[in-house]
Amino acid sequence: MTRFLIVVVLVLLLGVGAYFYLNRTDSAEGSAPPIAGAPPSAEVLARGEYLAKAADCIACHTVPGSGNAFAGGVAFRLPFGTLYSSNITADEASGIGSWSDDDFVRAVREGVRKDGEHLYPAFPYTSYTQMSRSDVLAIKAYLFSLPKISQADKANDLSFPYNQRWAMGFWNAAFFKSQRFAPDPSQSPQWNSGKYLAIALGHCAECHTPRNAGFGLEHGNELAGEKLQGWRAYNITSDPQHGIGAWSNSDIASYLTAGHADGKGSAAGPMAEVVENSLRFLNPADTAALVTYLRTVPAREGKDPITIDAATAPAIASNNAGPGGGTANTDNSGIKLFEGACASCHQWNGQGQQTPYASLLGTRGVNDVRGTNVTQVLLHGSDMRFAGPNIFMPTFGDAYSNTEIAALSNYVISHFGNKQGTVTADDVARRRKGL
Amino acid sequence: MLSLSVNGQSYPVDVPDDMPLLWVLRDVIGLTGTKFGCGIAQCGACTVHLDGQPVRSCVLPVGSIGNKAITTIEAVGNTPSGQKIQQAWLDVDVVQCGYCQSGQIMSAAALLQRTPNPSDADIDAAMSGNICRCGTYVRIRAAIKQAATGKLEILQTIVSAPEGARS
Repeated sequence: MTRFLIVVVLVLLLGVGAYFYLNRTDSAEGSAPPIAGAPPSAEVLARGEYLAKAADCIACHTVPGSGNAFAGGVAFRLPFGTLYSSNITADEASGIGSWSDDDFVRAVREGVRKDGEHLYPAFPYTSYTQMSRSDVLAIKAYLFSLPKISQADKANDLSFPYNQRWAMGFWNAAFFKSQRFAPDPSQSPQWNSGKYLAIALGHCAECHTPRNAGFGLEHGNELAGEKLQGWRAYNITSDPQHGIGAWSNSDIASYLTAGHADGKGSAAGPMAEVVENSLRFLNPADTAALVTYLRTVPAREGKDPITIDAATAPAIASNNAGPGGGTANTDNSGIKLFEGACASCHQWNGQGQQTPYASLLGTRGVNDVRGTNVTQVLLHGSDMRFAGPNIFMPTFGDAYSNTEIAALSNYVISHFGNKQGTVTADDVARRRKGL
Repeated sequence: MLSLSVNGQSYPVDVPDDMPLLWVLRDVIGLTGTKFGCGIAQCGACTVHLDGQPVRSCVLPVGSIGNKAITTIEAVGNTPSGQKIQQAWLDVDVVQCGYCQSGQIMSAAALLQRTPNPSDADIDAAMSGNICRCGTYVRIRAAIKQAATGKLEILQTIVSAPEGARS
């Protein structure tokens, strides 16, 4: 019995030791490689503003259209409930006005808020942990220079056990490592800047890297693509077939800064928001650095790889105003919906009429047999008016039933991707809920 | 200052590049035959031709047109297909309230120019983006076929020229 107790105590001690060891904090202040848009010589508020944009703080902390910048309240629907972002204005009572520099740095880099409670990793401290203290504090200075907004945080609506914040300590022990950015001296300064922009500030991995069963990022599978909030974040590794290895540097740069690359696709949904709120503000030198880094991300096939047919027979046989290749006689509801609602902008040959943003040929969306993003953009439309006044697509979610959206998606996949789409009405119902 | 070629005439216009062509046509140049319907390229009322291709002018930024030739409902009757379509429209008496009809005619004229003898499926593909709340679709289809073949397709409700007169 005594021996048994000793074993139990030892196991407990080991467990506690492991918990604290795995939750240890990297005490280094950290240093950032040169960021062209935020040079050390710049005034701190200007640096902070640029870095806050590069880190896309506003996307999660501002309800679109509310005008309440950084006051939080954006809902994140997850499989186990809904999370709301917090008020990060300098309001003393409802925001973070009373937070010290150390409080703020700990929250951003360790995921622990001022009262010591764990934050959920919907807040990407898992990426921001790489940031230098000086960059984090520049962001704080910028946030504190903005109008204070009094708006109480909404309570999260999470099911047990996900509503237990302390449990995140175990998640962190398993999946989070506090560590500052370490430049790779064997690579160019530009590459290092690009990597810092991608992994620390831009937190690309949070959407584009597959997650394991515990919702931790799969190391060794970086940027190979993942699905979240009902959208597919595509494979952006250097894989020429499944990633963006075949894109030119200017394709990638154009996609990042304008949300579109000719013959490759246009951003929509969450990625359009990233371009709108963050990437389009990058200095051209920083965009080039980001491209340089992305080019070197090891090629990976990823889950449900997409094979692109950029010149499908049905689309090639069509002209701008009519379908070719015999599809005209197909009596299916997908083609009827397309000719009524879609053809006048996208055209039967997929070239896009009023704007190249409406071109469909060669995009990953129409080549994905699951039609994930095709259904999402049909349901929710797309608004890229920051890039031009006519770059938007109306929402069709209220106009068409799940069956109609599924039929239309499958038609688009067959006509522009030359593949048999597998979209069902049930898929559409799920995607309406963002799952 | 942009210069637009509309119906064979050159118009210098002082407008922002991102103004939709429809606004320029109606409010700046004063060609009000082209109609505003939905403003989001979903109804077809604003259809005009750009180098003979039907486009929705409500979402087409004027700065992207360059020196392409714009044709509107005011001048489509000067093209062979437009002339045939307009005559068939009169003979069949397609129009009810008429609001969508300039867009319908522009789409139909472009179709006929491209496909001189369109099948039902061709007509569906080309015309489905033009919506008519009065439901004149049956007469639209008949008029397009009549314009293409010259054969009467449907009861001619109004004789557009007195019998014996030169048409």
